[in-house]
Amino acid sequence: MTRVFGDPVEVWVSDGRPARFVWRGRLYTVRRILEHWVTTRDWWREQQPEADVTGEREFWRVEATPDREIGVYELRYDAASGDWMLSRVWD
Amino acid sequence: MHLHVASAYSLRYGTAPPRELAARAADLGMRTLALTDRDGLYGAVKHMLACRDAGVRPVLGVDLAVADPEECASGARPSRRRHPHAEAAHRIVVLADGPRGWASLCRLVSAAHARGERTRPVATRELVGEHADGLVVLLGPASDVGRAVAERDRDLAAARLAAWRAAAETVIEIVDHQGPGDGFRAARMLALAREAGVPAVLGNAVRYLDKADHPVAQVLDAARRPAPLHRRHLDDTTGQAYLKPIPQMRRVAELACGADAADELMAVTLRLGDRCALDSPADLGMGALHLPDVAGDAQALLAARCREGLARRGLERSTRAADRLADELGVIARKGLAAYFLTVADAAALIRGRGIRCAIRGSGAGSLVNYLLGIGDLDPLRHDLLMERFLADSRPGLPDIDLDVESARRLEAYEALFDRFGRGNTACVSMMETYRARSAIRDVGNAIGLPPQEIDAIAKAFPHIRARQIHAALHDLPELRQSNLSQGRLEVLFRIAERLDGLPRHIAMHPCGVLLSNRTLRDRSPIETSMLGFPMSQFDKDDVEAMGMLKLDVIGVRMQSAMAHAVAEIARVEGTRIDLEAVPRDDPATYELIRSSRTLGCFQIESPGQRELLGKLQPRNLDDLVIDISLFRPGPVNSDMITPFLEARHGRRAPSFPHPDLAGALGENQGVVVFHEQVLRVLDVMTGCGLSQAERVRRALGDQEGQREAAAWFRAAALARGYDEDVVERVWRTLTAFGAFGFCKAHAASFALPTYQSAWLKRHHTAAFYAGVLTHDPGMYPKRAILDDARHFGVPILPLDVNRSAAEWRVEPVRPGGRQGGRPGGYGIRVPLNEVRGISAAEVSRIVEHRPYDSLGDFWHRAGVSRPTAERLVLAGAFDALYDLRPAAAPAPAPAAVGAGAPTAPAGDRALGAPAPAGRRAALNRRDLLCRVGALDRAVSRPSDGLIEGQLPLGHDQAEGGLGVVEHIPVGQLPDMTPAEVVEAELDILGMDVSRHVLSFYDEMLDGLGVVRSGALAALPDGDDVLVAGVKVATQTPAVRSGQRIIFATLDDATGPVDLTFFESVQDRCAAILFSSWLLVARGRVRRAPAGRRPASLTAYACWDLVGLYEAWQRGGPAAVHEAMAREGRNVASSRQVGRRIVYANGFALSPYADIGHAGGDVKRPPARLWHASGGSSGPTL
Repeated sequence: MTRVFGDPVEVWVSDGRPARFVWRGRLYTVRRILEHWVTTRDWWREQQPEADVTGEREFWRVEATPDREIGVYELRYDAASGDWMLSRVWD
Repeated sequence: MHLHVASAYSLRYGTAPPRELAARAADLGMRTLALTDRDGLYGAVKHMLACRDAGVRPVLGVDLAVADPEECASGARPSRRRHPHAEAAHRIVVLADGPRGWASLCRLVSAAHARGERTRPVATRELVGEHADGLVVLLGPASDVGRAVAERDRDLAAARLAAWRAAAETVIEIVDHQGPGDGFRAARMLALAREAGVPAVLGNAVRYLDKADHPVAQVLDAARRPAPLHRRHLDDTTGQAYLKPIPQMRRVAELACGADAADELMAVTLRLGDRCALDSPADLGMGALHLPDVAGDAQALLAARCREGLARRGLERSTRAADRLADELGVIARKGLAAYFLTVADAAALIRGRGIRCAIRGSGAGSLVNYLLGIGDLDPLRHDLLMERFLADSRPGLPDIDLDVESARRLEAYEALFDRFGRGNTACVSMMETYRARSAIRDVGNAIGLPPQEIDAIAKAFPHIRARQIHAALHDLPELRQSNLSQGRLEVLFRIAERLDGLPRHIAMHPCGVLLSNRTLRDRSPIETSMLGFPMSQFDKDDVEAMGMLKLDVIGVRMQSAMAHAVAEIARVEGTRIDLEAVPRDDPATYELIRSSRTLGCFQIESPGQRELLGKLQPRNLDDLVIDISLFRPGPVNSDMITPFLEARHGRRAPSFPHPDLAGALGENQGVVVFHEQVLRVLDVMTGCGLSQAERVRRALGDQEGQREAAAWFRAAALARGYDEDVVERVWRTLTAFGAFGFCKAHAASFALPTYQSAWLKRHHTAAFYAGVLTHDPGMYPKRAILDDARHFGVPILPLDVNRSAAEWRVEPVRPGGRQGGRPGGYGIRVPLNEVRGISAAEVSRIVEHRPYDSLGDFWHRAGVSRPTAERLVLAGAFDALYDLRPAAAPAPAPAAVGAGAPTAPAGDRALGAPAPAGRRAALNRRDLLCRVGALDRAVSRPSDGLIEGQLPLGHDQAEGGLGVVEHIPVGQLPDMTPAEVVEAELDILGMDVSRHVLSFYDEMLDGLGVVRSGALAALPDGDDVLVAGVKVATQTPAVRSGQRIIFATLDDATGPVDLTFFESVQDRCAAILFSSWLLVARGRVRRAPAGRRPASLTAYACWDLVGLYEAWQRGGPAAVHEAMAREGRNVASSRQVGRRIVYANGFALSPYADIGHAGGDVKRPPARLWHASGGSSGPTL
């Protein structure tokens, strides 16, 4: 089942891809990248968008595991702020 | 590397100019770069040139819409009605492989345009198959194959792919923009290609240069549909469609398809790019002439025609002419252009053969061959014009011959050319309309969802500047600084609007260029259909020149139409046929008129600045007019050529020549270099290089580097001929300072002729002249200003009349002995039906066809006009004569308001504005007639109400009793219109005040304030501080020497024009009011030059809206007006500079806001709500 989160996570990136992340104090290792996609921000809805920040968002849907059990996790990276977030979990 | 790239020439889709794409590709180390714009090859030539300069190998192709295969199968044409802005079902990319491929590509694009609707070309698989020779089809995610793959329909995808392969060479294009699911689809696409054994390439469907450009693309997506910005309306939601560097391309492919597949995709992509690269301009057909076919030996034919010309022009015994002809024919033979001259001569004769006025313009007037062939009517020998400025061995490219024709018949001239040379061999040149400040603000405003009225107000607040100047203008221009636009609320709007700067948004027919060629034209240029139905090349004038295509410029000139109309009116009314070309060009009365500066309506010499120059220059002959026209340009004004010239001319300074040898070259202009031709002669005299070489050097003077090289060459050559160093230096300084700004004398001379002809008409056939000018509106002034000028010249303005007014302005004889005292045998001009707002051409012709009318009812039944039109006709007085109405019962106009002895209405006709005869019963008036229009309309819409067809229940009489059949409308119950209401109706309906001058309603207040009239200004001494008032008829911000942004405004105050100058120091206070008001009061100091009889002008330092002051007057009399004036004038003058100057190499400066259209609406028509600009005003009353 899908669960939606918006938790900040810490992510280690290797070769331009997420390799490991820490969520709620547990370390997850990325086993496989299932999908990767990008969206731009809805800049026209923002009151005072910063001048030349394009601020796209990158999504990584990955298979990752804290131990033996594999789950599917969706990580979101905000290019403008540099923050990572765990947006969805399938387990 | 990139095989699928849209530039800005993909309208409302791409954002990057071809030049920037090519330069970036080179920076990124790409070997090849394709340009595959949507729907056309608009950027193809630019791409070729840009790639050549950047060192990248160009590939050309197109991104074409393809009709749905199922729809094609059923034979249905794609219908726009289904969804007005539906995007095409599928898209493919087609690349050209080699010269054969280029020809196929041109023909395929033309065929797709011919098949689809205008600006929405649609191809089919069959159509691509018919043109498959040398083409490679790329099927990406947007193709029918890509769609089937996306829908996981493998069988359908495979079947469609097979169908494409049967039609043309086909390649699969993998594109991954990293949207959700893109990667999976890319992998499935690659699998399909592998199964089918079709090569696959990697593309990125590029539409902008940098990632950061995606908001611009998104705005274009919204503008194209049009729809507000929202994810579901956007083609681009990932920001990945940029010109991606090679490593990133590989990385995306690897993420989607794996490392090995990525490597292979890269290799196949590069191979296809190399194969399709078009390295030589010859591949596109550049570098060869493709002239229309001429039977026989063109050169011999040309020589024979020129010999005939010598005889016809009476030059057969002139050795000068014979030598010059031999020279010119020699150059033409060496360049292989004989067929060109024969073609143009043919075209000019064809146009004249249809009775269309046709004159040569530009440097072509300098060629004797053109004169002898009858292309032009100016004798270059007599006016000392040189051929080399037009055609020389040293001039690269094709010579340009421009023909001026009547604007109203320009398309007729085109038809003649298409008929003669064939629609397959002939095409119009196109041009791109690009985003400027106003259009960018409109499209972005709509995209971000601002209310339409707000968008309109914001857009109109800006002058006609470039989009990228928006922020600078908000900061620089006083009229914008005082608005509330610059407060940050609209920051997003302005920032994105600036980024649309210069992007093409519409393709349009170039106003004059016509390509004349042979049957190969369609192999070298894609052709679509213009809005008017002419075949039109997708190339603009620069492309056409780069392609070496022969272009003839057929320019519609309103003044030519105006003069043709005048000549036709003279023939109609007087029975005299006038041949303007045969009119002697030394008529003293005409030059006297020109010297008086009363030249409103005349070609080229009607602007305030020109009238001032005429006053100073005092032209005496055609050569003086040539000089006048040459001097009145930014260059000479900027470099102050005028002052030394005038001083020498009026004998205040002896003409000085750097060396006696130059007296011949510079003598005509008292030692001042005015013409390009003089630069050529000076160079030739001092170096002996010959005129052809001199022309090459003159062209080099245009840029810094060329100037440096030319200087070194000139010094060496002149010193070697024995001129001393001092002379050489002085001459060179003159040439560089003035030479680059000089004007082509042949060009000025070809302008001077219609200038003279129009002045001649104004002097000798005044009424016909005004009829022509008012009908074709050639100039800068609103018609009401021209009308006022006509009154000053004693031409009566005859009111609108259903029984007399024609479609266009007509001349009517005015019976002598009338009470208005028109000149015996004089002529008036009749207001035409076309001036009535909203009237249709069909209504006009029905009105004219069925007259005379004996009543309103008669008119209503037989003319068949709409109710609004009938009402406007009534209100504008078109039935006054029929019912003998005498509205506008006003006191006699104030003496100051009408020029001495100038009649304002025809004898015999009722005078407008004249008092009604005593004892007339209060009877029918315009308001009664207006009521009757309503009654007639109701009666006709209820035909059963006792009305029998053919019966005319209303009208036929003025008796009240006859009105009772349908509705009883008692006459005389309604108050007649006041004179103010009459003028207001005229301004609203006709756009001009016919019955009396609009300013006359304010006379009492203006006299009370001590306002000085134009007629009285001339008598005032220099420096006098005065108040003036009038209707704004023109505002200009021309380039001036200091680089200031100076606003020139002309007011019309019923006695003549008042010219005002607003310097930057007062614009903070004045600019906003000046641009937003129609009726103005201004205060300033009289400025007059010592020489000449020219009217004085004013250096203004304050201005007010007249309507606002009038409200104060009505409220509280003079005291209130003075208070209002003091209140508005309190702002302290600031000396802030308006915008950063553009400084030229020679030290002269230019305002960035010079020569642009001003803020607000068009000055040519009065504003819609004239007297109600602020709430509570009920307009002037008497």
